[in-house]
Amino acid sequence: MALTDFRPDAMRCTRCSYCKWIPFDLVKSARFSAGCPSIEAGVFHAYSAGGRLVTMLSLMDGRSEVTGQVVDIGFRCQLCGNCDVACKLCRYDMEPLAALRELRAHLVESGRVPDSYRPIIERTRAALAGRGPKTPADRNLWAAGLGLVDPEKEACDVVFYAGCKYSGEESLRETVRTQVRLLQLAGLTVGLFENGCCGGLADKMGYRAEAGQAGSRMLKQWQAAGIKTVVTPCADCRHTFTRVYPTFEGARDGIPQVLHTVECVAQLVRDEKLELTLPVAKTVTYHDPCNLGRQGEPYEPWAGVEKKIYGQAVVYDPPRPRYNGAKGVYGPPRDLLAAIPGLELVEMERSREAAWCCGAGGACREAFPEYSAATAAERLEEAAATGAEALATACSRCELNFAEGVAAAQDGAPGAAAAAAGLEVLDVLELVALSAGLQKEA
Amino acid sequence: MSPSYAKPTTPAETAASSPQIGDDAYRALEDIVGAANVSRDGAVLDTYAFQWLAELVRPDQSHYMPRPAAVVLPGSTEEVQAIVRLANKYGLKVKPHGTGWYHWSGPIKDTDATLQLDMRRMDRIIEIDDQNMYAVVEPYVIAAQLQAELLPLGLNLNIPGVGCSSSIVASACAYHGAGPDTYFMGGNAENLLGMEWVTPEGEIVRTGSLGSGDGWFCSEGPGPSVRAICRGTLGSRGGLGVYTKCAVKLAPYLGQTEWEVHGTVPAYRLPVHENLRVYTLAVPDWDAWAEIYYKIYDNEIGYIFHRQFNLAGADLAPAFWLMYNDADKILNDVPDLVADPEIQKLTEEMRISFQLILQGRSKDDIELQDKILSAILEEVGGWKVERFCEQDMAEFTNLYLQRLGHKHINFVWAGGYIGSWMQFGTPDWVKGYVPTAIAGLERDASGGKLVQCGGDAMMGSGSGIPLGGATGLEQFVSYDPDDYESTVAGIRHMEDAVKDAASIKYPPGKEFIYLQIGWSDEQIWKALANSKQPQVFRYQTQIKAAFDPNDTGDRMYPTLPLEYKPGG
Repeated sequence: MALTDFRPDAMRCTRCSYCKWIPFDLVKSARFSAGCPSIEAGVFHAYSAGGRLVTMLSLMDGRSEVTGQVVDIGFRCQLCGNCDVACKLCRYDMEPLAALRELRAHLVESGRVPDSYRPIIERTRAALAGRGPKTPADRNLWAAGLGLVDPEKEACDVVFYAGCKYSGEESLRETVRTQVRLLQLAGLTVGLFENGCCGGLADKMGYRAEAGQAGSRMLKQWQAAGIKTVVTPCADCRHTFTRVYPTFEGARDGIPQVLHTVECVAQLVRDEKLELTLPVAKTVTYHDPCNLGRQGEPYEPWAGVEKKIYGQAVVYDPPRPRYNGAKGVYGPPRDLLAAIPGLELVEMERSREAAWCCGAGGACREAFPEYSAATAAERLEEAAATGAEALATACSRCELNFAEGVAAAQDGAPGAAAAAAGLEVLDVLELVALSAGLQKEA
Repeated sequence: MSPSYAKPTTPAETAASSPQIGDDAYRALEDIVGAANVSRDGAVLDTYAFQWLAELVRPDQSHYMPRPAAVVLPGSTEEVQAIVRLANKYGLKVKPHGTGWYHWSGPIKDTDATLQLDMRRMDRIIEIDDQNMYAVVEPYVIAAQLQAELLPLGLNLNIPGVGCSSSIVASACAYHGAGPDTYFMGGNAENLLGMEWVTPEGEIVRTGSLGSGDGWFCSEGPGPSVRAICRGTLGSRGGLGVYTKCAVKLAPYLGQTEWEVHGTVPAYRLPVHENLRVYTLAVPDWDAWAEIYYKIYDNEIGYIFHRQFNLAGADLAPAFWLMYNDADKILNDVPDLVADPEIQKLTEEMRISFQLILQGRSKDDIELQDKILSAILEEVGGWKVERFCEQDMAEFTNLYLQRLGHKHINFVWAGGYIGSWMQFGTPDWVKGYVPTAIAGLERDASGGKLVQCGGDAMMGSGSGIPLGGATGLEQFVSYDPDDYESTVAGIRHMEDAVKDAASIKYPPGKEFIYLQIGWSDEQIWKALANSKQPQVFRYQTQIKAAFDPNDTGDRMYPTLPLEYKPGG
């Protein structure tokens, strides 16, 4: 793809501003009606999806140049995809999220990236070249003593892929180990490769070559071992495997089925391989991770062209897949929470395809920490407004951002979500483990 | 193709020659709003210059209106006042907008150095007075937000046809428009109570009861009508100062106070409350259409009254809406649906149709209204369109028309839409232009450069004034703004519609307002001088002289020089 591929989207943008809010039919209050973290922070129209389309058009038309502000516009966005859902309420010929990703890749190719990106991508490149501070074996230290098998040597039911955050962050250690233990409790033999980053962060940053390199390596490893199913607790990794990898050359030789742990465990509960019997007396609200929820829709390959019917009506030949959040992964985490005796699930005003982002996505946690934290604070305010005692989610990056947001609130930090100071931040599967009677590790 | 339309030139040339703002003035703006809330970055400015309809009026079919010299986001009335005073000092134009939709939201002339005011930081609901039934809002509060706050109180507000994404202040103070609920609630222009106005010279004026410290409840007096100065019928559309707050009158709402919306994106649904009935109704011909409108007015039934679904075109509308309500279908599926014999039958059944939602105060009341409606249908030979009254479509219609959260389906076919015709009057009078409007669109779309969806793609409010009396039908003409020839076909359609209207002795419609944006001052003066009431525009010239001596507003507040004579 190239910037010019999105020229029709820009030319057909009507500047309606739908991309700035959640779908209007779902608005329950003025307070929680905004949908786009980027324009809430950036304020100018250019920080919305529609504004970015015009920014792209302006660059293509030679009317403007890539300035520091344009770089900021290109990257200060979580790629959360609310704009994509809202735009497509009324349109079948627009792909705003894909356009934003293209703008980002274009700026990367032009060498115009935020300064904060440079050390991140250097670390990624070093890791890909085997020069990183952590070897693949180091990345697996989190799994010590869990009895995971080497898929290259032993058969396993599923391969577990923890992702960078779960494998590296001490605060997530218990969560990720609990997830594996749940799978084992259900009788699954779980395998673990020695491997590196999935390339998802590089992809979100717009570094496609690096993402492709990471992806090809991972695919080869899976294909060589004949892996059928990969399970990951990270929504970002799941998105990378299911929506980005299929676009890579190496995907032609096959991609295993990839499930998020909540999908896998929900199936195990449905199959009665796991029983949730112990009550968990908590009021819980669930945060849909963007990459599991509205962007969790299955990939559909497409290569086609635009054509006109009825004179000028725009369609695509063959029909183009429509990613609008309708088929995201919303049910499994809710099914699990609903299956826990004594647990009351209360929804936030913005949920499912209309969920407000946790703030960490699109490399914003790494590149724009204050903006990322402010976005998380907004979500924490919303979670607190439900009256829930706990905020459960299903993504490492969401959990980290929220946990830090709650800590900031407890410290009385400026801009923190004061109302959320007493909120517990959990992974859905931690609650499931409690109900399944999984004892905490010593 | 008409030789009068040149191929597009390089848009970069226009941008390069845009008037700039001086460093002193820019620094002064930064001092007022903070550096983070002002920009003169070329790309940022282009996101304000880029406007829907620009390509239909700009000389090179560019999608950009003139580029502003700077964009500023004020956070308070005081900041607006300081910006306006600065504009007076430095000889800059001021152009405010709410969400910024329509080509006239941007600067109008290439030669003007314009400060574009984006009001998005002024987004507070100041007050909801449920006892006295009014709400006070800042300019960036949109209708969806206020409605969501009102429903739990059993209240509602007029949402104009532009939809719930629109600024309430914009529709009440600066423009106008009728929507599905205008029949019951009145339009925001007439629901306007007190307002706060920063005049073009930077004075803060508070109108009506607000001006005498008595709150927001009354729009007028004592003294001359400032409201009339500010907005008249059409509104000044950003051309005469900046509106920073206003109060609008609210209406009772007797449906569920908590909306349990369900369904799959994009076709969300709202269960029909026991106090409501949701119908798509059809009649055999346009005489019956006028007749049923009169009877609905006369019997004072109805809460939401709109011809909505026909915007997709009478030949395609049933197929389109059934496709839209199926999450597995896309536009590619429409031709197969159109070819389905059952849908062909449905297409004929609802060729002249509209939507009506009844609201009762009690079980008896809603049942009585239902009986009245049945009697009316019998009298005019009309019917309920059963498929669109079934639960799924009724719930979809219920939510669609109450919230108006999908209004940009206007653009669904090709990304461009022109509203032509939309002359406003009695149903009989409106009925009079229907055949010409249908024939005109069939003719203009026959070459395939406009979307061919049937000659009747007309929609509009059941009544643009409360309790009925006057309606209007707007022809929805779809073109592809990414296709030069389609864009030109759109322009020619607008010109043809003006001529078509003249040929049957009707005044020009909405397209005439669109077209004028691209005209020279001389062309506009000529049109104003030849209008039915040119004195209005001469009077406005005197108002502008009194309130805007430094000419900070643009010509969206139309004026006619006192000495001007057509052709002279």
